[in-house]
Amino acid sequence: MRAEPKGEQAAAATRALNVMIVGVGGQGVLMISKALALIGQKQGLQVKQSEVHGMAKRGGAVFSHIRFGVEVWSPTIARGEADALIALEWAEGLRWIDYLRPETGVFIADTRRIVPPFACRSRRHGAPMAYARETPAEALEKVGEGFALDATAIATTLGEPRAANTVLLGVLSTSLDMPAADWLAVLDALTPPKSRAINLEAFRAGRAWAEAARDDPTLRFDAGFVPRARPADAPDMSVALVINAAWCKGCDICVKLCPERCLVLDAEQVAFLKAPHACTGCRVCEWLCPDFAIEVRTAVREAAGA
Amino acid sequence: MNEAVRTNFDIKDYLRLEMMPHFMCPGCGHGIALRCLLWAVHELGVDKNRLAVVSGIGCSGRVGAYIDANTFHTTHGRPLAFATGLKLARPDLTVVVITGDGDCLAIGGNHLIHACRRNLDITCLMLNNEVYGMTGGQVSPTTAIDRLTTTTPHGNAEPTFDACRLADAAGASFVGREVTRQAPALKSVIKAGLAHEGFAFIEVLSDCTEIYGRKNDLGESPEMILAQKSDMRPEAFGNAADEPFRPNRLRAGVLVQRDRPEYGRVYRERAAAERAKAKAKG
Ligand code: SF4
Ligand code: SF4
Repeated sequence: MRAEPKGEQAAAATRALNVMIVGVGGQGVLMISKALALIGQKQGLQVKQSEVHGMAKRGGAVFSHIRFGVEVWSPTIARGEADALIALEWAEGLRWIDYLRPETGVFIADTRRIVPPFACRSRRHGAPMAYARETPAEALEKVGEGFALDATAIATTLGEPRAANTVLLGVLSTSLDMPAADWLAVLDALTPPKSRAINLEAFRAGRAWAEAARDDPTLRFDAGFVPRARPADAPDMSVALVINAAWCKGCDICVKLCPERCLVLDAEQVAFLKAPHACTGCRVCEWLCPDFAIEVRTAVREAAGA
Repeated sequence: MNEAVRTNFDIKDYLRLEMMPHFMCPGCGHGIALRCLLWAVHELGVDKNRLAVVSGIGCSGRVGAYIDANTFHTTHGRPLAFATGLKLARPDLTVVVITGDGDCLAIGGNHLIHACRRNLDITCLMLNNEVYGMTGGQVSPTTAIDRLTTTTPHGNAEPTFDACRLADAAGASFVGREVTRQAPALKSVIKAGLAHEGFAFIEVLSDCTEIYGRKNDLGESPEMILAQKSDMRPEAFGNAADEPFRPNRLRAGVLVQRDRPEYGRVYRERAAAERAKAKAKG
């Protein structure tokens, strides 16, 4: 995939160049989208950009579509039509991977993981996280061309971890036929004075990394990546509720305040654990029972107390 | 307040099991307050035989009786006075007073302000349920405006006390407040109060479900305890004199902690100095 240069040849280009940038709130997806759009304009191309950043403030997904071409109509990219996918967060990258062109799409991802709260499917201690477990090497098998680097680490060595987005932009710049001077000029104009130097530095670092990785495919993925624990590795906690029927006065507090709603009052108006599998051992019922009628026992506690 | 929640605290180690189940009504918040006190005692590693719990009259007065330690059930409003004598005579004991809103602020109001002023190392737990529960639901100094009680059948017209502000003004060197719903946080506040050297006043916002809740249509026990959280907004440190007591904007946690000479220590130093003087004289 190469961007068609301006002039005669550009007119011959029949289709637009599609770049997707994905990440989570606060990573700077929109900042590099804007940089990319300006660079496209500098090449004399039409640019259309659209973005979604619904719950971005709370660490939610953000994505941006950028299309360049002599003439661009739709502002969005269809599945399987992105020429490049830049992921500022690892799982977001994997999530959008099928938007890439199957054979030729370029995948550029930071291997840093930002685990969202909802990856925690159960409040039980040691419960597995519903978060991607692919390694970079596995992910790169699925794409035409791929780069998985610890951009945040590169940016951190430069003194500003938040410049990881510009590092990835530097990597992308080696895949597009646009002069490096244009990229630097746009960044120079776009970034505020305080972070200008660091952004230019981060761009060069990303470019240098990508040039090295193009020559040596073993450098293309971050080998230091440690996958998250699989469920089998997570400690298994057994939880047991001991309800002292003689002390329970049937006040209903445990029934209504259990976050998992796993208790009920039985026919005798005594608390009863209806859904033992749902109980996470959080101890709310033990703490709030005014009659000390519930004791929550966990395996960890027994091991520690024995 | 970030100590591990997972402890091997077993409340049964601290209860007089032959007296259980306790006499409190279903859903009464005092049981939760008792758990938090014992939990704090356990985490601080206080020896049961060195723990003295003094209580007055009322539902709160009965709470102390279930603790397997040295307990004193004293006369109405006087637990702080008893505790003062006890602590002066036996400074080696950890002295805790369990009292209620009526016991502490009405009948024993005078003892409270002087205990705050004196700053003897006592931890005072005031279980505030806004009503005289044991005697049939009369109005108390903390009953909210417009609330129905047996003595205010048309709604309470008296402004309420903010006990924490009162204790602060009277000079208490530690003032804390927490709701029973936040049991681990309440435990932490009590723990900080017990560890504080000097008079620690802790207001526990507890629920009287059977008498106060029912009369005022505040729902059953779960509804009352669920309502507690919305009562606590971290805006002001009490302005209860101008506003109905609940719902209002009460701040929770450790509200005041200041360094003041502990009275027992000052007293013993003076006594020792006087003894030395007398000895020198002859
Ligand atoms: S420990 Fe109690 S409150 Fe927590 S989930 Fe289990 S039953 Fe519910
Ligand atoms: S909170 Fe305690 S007394 Fe109330 S219903 Fe549950 S077990 Fe029984």
